[in-house]
Amino acid sequence: MTDLAVQPSNQTSKVSAKGGAARKKQKPFVVRVLKSPTFARGLFLPAVLVFWLISNKMIEDSWDFDSSVLATPREVWDFMYAEISGDTVAPNNLYQTFGISLRRLGIGWVVSMIAGTAIGLGMGLSKAVNAFFHDWVMALLAMPALAWALFLSLILGFGDTGPVWAVVLAGIPFVIVNVREGVRSTPTDLFDMSTAFAVPRSKQIRHVLLPSLFPFLFAAARYALSIGWKGLVLIELFGGQDGAGWTFKFWYDAHRLHGVIGYSMFFVIFALVVENLILEPISRRVFKWRPRLDAPELVEEDIDTNLEKPNRPAPARSDVAGTI
Amino acid sequence: MTQEELVKIARRKELVVRWAARILGYVVVLGLWEWASGAVIEENLLPGPTRVIQTAVELFQDGAVFPAFGSTLNRIVVGVTLSFFIGAAVGILTQNRWFAGFFKDAITIGLTSPGLIWVLITALVFGNQWFAPLTTIILTTFALVSVNVAEGIGTLPKDTIDMARAFKVGVVRRNRHIVIPHLAPFLFTGIRFSFSIGWKVTVLTEVFTAGSGIGYEMRIAQILFRQDEVLTWILLFFVFALFLEKVVLQAIEDRFFRWRKEIAST
Repeated sequence: MTDLAVQPSNQTSKVSAKGGAARKKQKPFVVRVLKSPTFARGLFLPAVLVFWLISNKMIEDSWDFDSSVLATPREVWDFMYAEISGDTVAPNNLYQTFGISLRRLGIGWVVSMIAGTAIGLGMGLSKAVNAFFHDWVMALLAMPALAWALFLSLILGFGDTGPVWAVVLAGIPFVIVNVREGVRSTPTDLFDMSTAFAVPRSKQIRHVLLPSLFPFLFAAARYALSIGWKGLVLIELFGGQDGAGWTFKFWYDAHRLHGVIGYSMFFVIFALVVENLILEPISRRVFKWRPRLDAPELVEEDIDTNLEKPNRPAPARSDVAGTI
Repeated sequence: MTQEELVKIARRKELVVRWAARILGYVVVLGLWEWASGAVIEENLLPGPTRVIQTAVELFQDGAVFPAFGSTLNRIVVGVTLSFFIGAAVGILTQNRWFAGFFKDAITIGLTSPGLIWVLITALVFGNQWFAPLTTIILTTFALVSVNVAEGIGTLPKDTIDMARAFKVGVVRRNRHIVIPHLAPFLFTGIRFSFSIGWKVTVLTEVFTAGSGIGYEMRIAQILFRQDEVLTWILLFFVFALFLEKVVLQAIEDRFFRWRKEIAST
């Protein structure tokens, strides 16, 4: 519809871009580098470090209490290096700590995937089952992990049971909702056609239901893992005696800011490694045959209402924003 | 019987089934909960629904609820508002390619780092200062607003603006009738996301650094091993926050978009 209107403006922008490039060539190399976005991106980290050091200095000058609570980047780096090389004051070293937490995360994640898929399939196939669970799943979806952390740590005490339950409860609503959506989006005409051509049931499930369900299941698995991890850290913080969350709290209780910041860095690095080096390659491999569908829109809200507003402007990514 | 009546009957039947299942769901879940408290787990550790309601009434009569809600709400509103302006400013700045490069990592960090990290860091750095919770809220939610604002500005209808220019529509009217209506849905999305994360982060910071508010009350109850109070505070605030998010914000949004049917529905 706007083809005609767009055409001329495109041309003019091309022309002006060319002119800009020509003018840029006359500028000295240094100016071009200084103005490039890549340089700006590289500038961010030094800017943060400088801000950090300056604010440390300002607080030390203006405050009269002992400023040793503040950490310098150097201290944080030394702490992280010591932790990575296995030298620590905490009861368990870095690898043991993350190992303990990962085991809990794994168990809780498997449980939430199995139970969530079962409930989600039921909700997708039957309206009565859907009505039965709907409100409770929506309530679980919005429940902050803090609630589970405080509540379960009182009931189950220290140990493995509480953290595992926290992972299950944090992850399961996302699995349910996404599996339900996957079942609903299965192409019914393909089903009808395969029935008409007398394709056996097992082949139908293998070739029609699973391929359309799989992207949703994969997205749910990924999200359940990340939200489960956050729930796990939180409950270990309140009701644990080991694990990543507990060790984080250990440095907090000891008033070692460099420990807290260093451990935060470990959390972020851990999440990045899992996301980019493990999940991303798997996802690319699994969906190689289906390049366009590798990232189905993750369902985080009530779908019944979402379906009715097709023209809603796409909200910016929120799938990474499962804070807390 | 005509076709229409058949359809009507089928529809009514479906409605009855749906409501019956829904009510059954409530009965089963609440019943299991009530039964489990006492039969499976000791009642002091898992208070049933009736006990929770009792405790809620007691808390209301004590007059503990409203001050706590007040101070928490205060923090949320101030924090989310500040983070809205900061986030919007960053979002506008990222229209420039240089600033987009500069803030790229900041936005990624803001979107992905869990709130807990900032809660503990600000708790250690600022202690019990009033601005510690606010800093945490801003750090965890500003990126959501920035991303949405940037997205909205990026998709501004260039042809409409050009047309308005060609017809010599003034700057004020152009912004009032083209730019703001276009940006509004993106702003609302940003606000809603940052609110839904904001209230959770606020309660979490209160657990560590505040001397008042829901999070503080929850922490005290947990330390004193009063499970019924922990549960009641959680549920009270959960219901209240959901009410604000799904009813109040939604109502404002619907009112705002009444003229634009395709966005307005729920």
